Amino acid sequence: MDQILRKAIERGQKSLSEYESKAVIESAGVSITREKLARSREQAVTFAEEIGYPVALKGCSGALAHKTEAGVVKLNLTDAEAVREAYDEITGRVSKMDGVLVQEMIKGNREFVIGLTRDPQFGPCVMFGIGGIFTEVMKDVSFRIAPFTESDAEEMIEEIKMKKLLGEFRGSPAVDREALVRALVGIGELALRHSEIAEIDINPLIIAGNKPVAADALVILTG
Amino acid sequence: MNVKTQNIQLEKFFNPDSVAVIGASNTPFNLGATICNALKHYLEFPGPVVAINRKAEEVSDYPGYSSVKDVPHDIDLAVIITPASVVPAFVKQCGEKGIRNIVIESAGFSEQGAEGKKLQMEINDYAKQYGIRFLGPNCLGVMNNVSRFCCFYGAYDGMVNAFNKAGGVSYVIQSGGVGVVIFESLMDDMQGINKMVSIGNKTDVDEADLLDYFNSDNTQVISMYLENVANGIKLMNVARRVRKPIMIFKSGRTEAGTAAALSHTAGMANNDVVFDSMCRQAGIIRLKSISELYSLPKMLTEMPLLRGNRIAAFTNSGAFGSISADIMTEAGLTIPRFSPETREKLSKIKGVFNINNPVDIGPALPQVYLDLIDIILAAPEIDGLLLMSSIWRDFIIDVIKEVMKMCKHYDKPAAIYTPNSISRIISVRKQFNIPIFDSLEEAVRALVVSYEQFRYLRKKER
Repeated sequence: MDQILRKAIERGQKSLSEYESKAVIESAGVSITREKLARSREQAVTFAEEIGYPVALKGCSGALAHKTEAGVVKLNLTDAEAVREAYDEITGRVSKMDGVLVQEMIKGNREFVIGLTRDPQFGPCVMFGIGGIFTEVMKDVSFRIAPFTESDAEEMIEEIKMKKLLGEFRGSPAVDREALVRALVGIGELALRHSEIAEIDINPLIIAGNKPVAADALVILTG
Repeated sequence: MNVKTQNIQLEKFFNPDSVAVIGASNTPFNLGATICNALKHYLEFPGPVVAINRKAEEVSDYPGYSSVKDVPHDIDLAVIITPASVVPAFVKQCGEKGIRNIVIESAGFSEQGAEGKKLQMEINDYAKQYGIRFLGPNCLGVMNNVSRFCCFYGAYDGMVNAFNKAGGVSYVIQSGGVGVVIFESLMDDMQGINKMVSIGNKTDVDEADLLDYFNSDNTQVISMYLENVANGIKLMNVARRVRKPIMIFKSGRTEAGTAAALSHTAGMANNDVVFDSMCRQAGIIRLKSISELYSLPKMLTEMPLLRGNRIAAFTNSGAFGSISADIMTEAGLTIPRFSPETREKLSKIKGVFNINNPVDIGPALPQVYLDLIDIILAAPEIDGLLLMSSIWRDFIIDVIKEVMKMCKHYDKPAAIYTPNSISRIISVRKQFNIPIFDSLEEAVRALVVSYEQFRYLRKKER
């Protein structure tokens, strides 16, 4: 992980690619989607078959902070043909990329967010809340200043208004709170260890069964 | 400097044996003269006071000198109230005289451009050189109602009453105007001020230093009005070790987050949200209005802490039962049903039937009220009481006084609201020393805050 950060800084990246960002957050204790970085069309198909359909393909680059807007995200691809087509479309849109990320599609109708920012007074602050595309509209989030304890993390989970979503919900089991707590505390510790990380967005953090899994992540580096 | 040594030095701000008021003269509208006048006539301050001015003239019968260095005795505290440009020279003079505590009331420093900042640097350098601790600049300094010392400029006749009403609450305020609202409002309440300190630009002594100090003295509740935080991490770390209730009302809630933030997280983290999180983490009660600074402390000084959120509401008017249930539910408190055991006990009281929570009994004899409340406070399913009984006969006051004793006995609090006019509430509260809240909302809020403090204490002791 130190190597990923060092290389990105050497190359003058402002942020890490999704692939790099996820490696970083995984090291901090956040579960991530199964995924591989493909550098050719046929490699993408091989990876898709390894992971199992349906898969998602995402253009992967440190310069691409907003992938959906750039049109390089293709979801729910169910066979090799769809993967080839998506691969060509993505590589046709953006020329400079690290590769194309082949990723499992996780099922789950509950989406949360975990984030990190640095306050000029209080230092690293970890955020938890309702994720997905409406995060900024709902603003149902809570913060803690790092370092904080597991019981602080439990409190911040309790503070969101829609906390009922964490219980049993429409046939899905209650969310694994311990995993959430580990992720929150872990991101706080990551921030304390690595001043070169300025901000993090883990959104959406999808609840697959009862496990929180990061489906997308963005690590922004200190300028 | 360790906390203990620091507290010993800060003590001189609140309990000086001798004081120099630098800039006090007999010029019309001189602000320093108002400080001398208050010390002489309102407070009858026992120690020596001197006035420092160009003509070395007496002020309020206190001897005058042109320099602190001419004063023949030691001086514990200097109060500087002169134009900003000459403040650094006076600080140096104080240092040479051996004065280690200074209140700088003058304005015109870091809040006013490059020239002011330069003056500020000079002051900081002298303070460092001589080991001086200073309050301000741009502040009123301190008020100590226990030892009866005050260096607020502009003290007026009405303040004499505030000086005479010492209590358990100490205040740190970043604005003199808020100080006035607090001490005038407390005139109508049963609590009083222990100490109040106005910190202004807080270039040296800040809110965290004072939090440490008030943790060490006879203060019961620490209440603060802040416009900004001098050192966030320092405040957080001190608050974590303070067991006394800390209440902060901070303005600037709506300040927007960094517009240029790259991540969504940074976009949602404005400084108010972060400050709020800090309060929860460090065990600070965050207040919602200025009035809470003076209305809520009495709940914490007069009543045991609320150890759970299950409240019994007691009223002699059905309306207040249902109104209070709405307000409490909204505030996260619950109004549980009484257990069969409790109901059984209640049903044995003569003339009482069908008792539910909220309890509404209408007019009854005082002993009936007391028997009911005794059973309710003893009930294990109840953590606290919301007492709402209008004072329709004087015996209600006696009932309330008895309930206060029961609260201590059962170690459960009661938030008291009497549905009467404000003037009646105020006169009963003052005459009988009962912590009655001005409104039902305030009483419910007091329960919430009491429970918050209980949880913070549990967290701090873990």
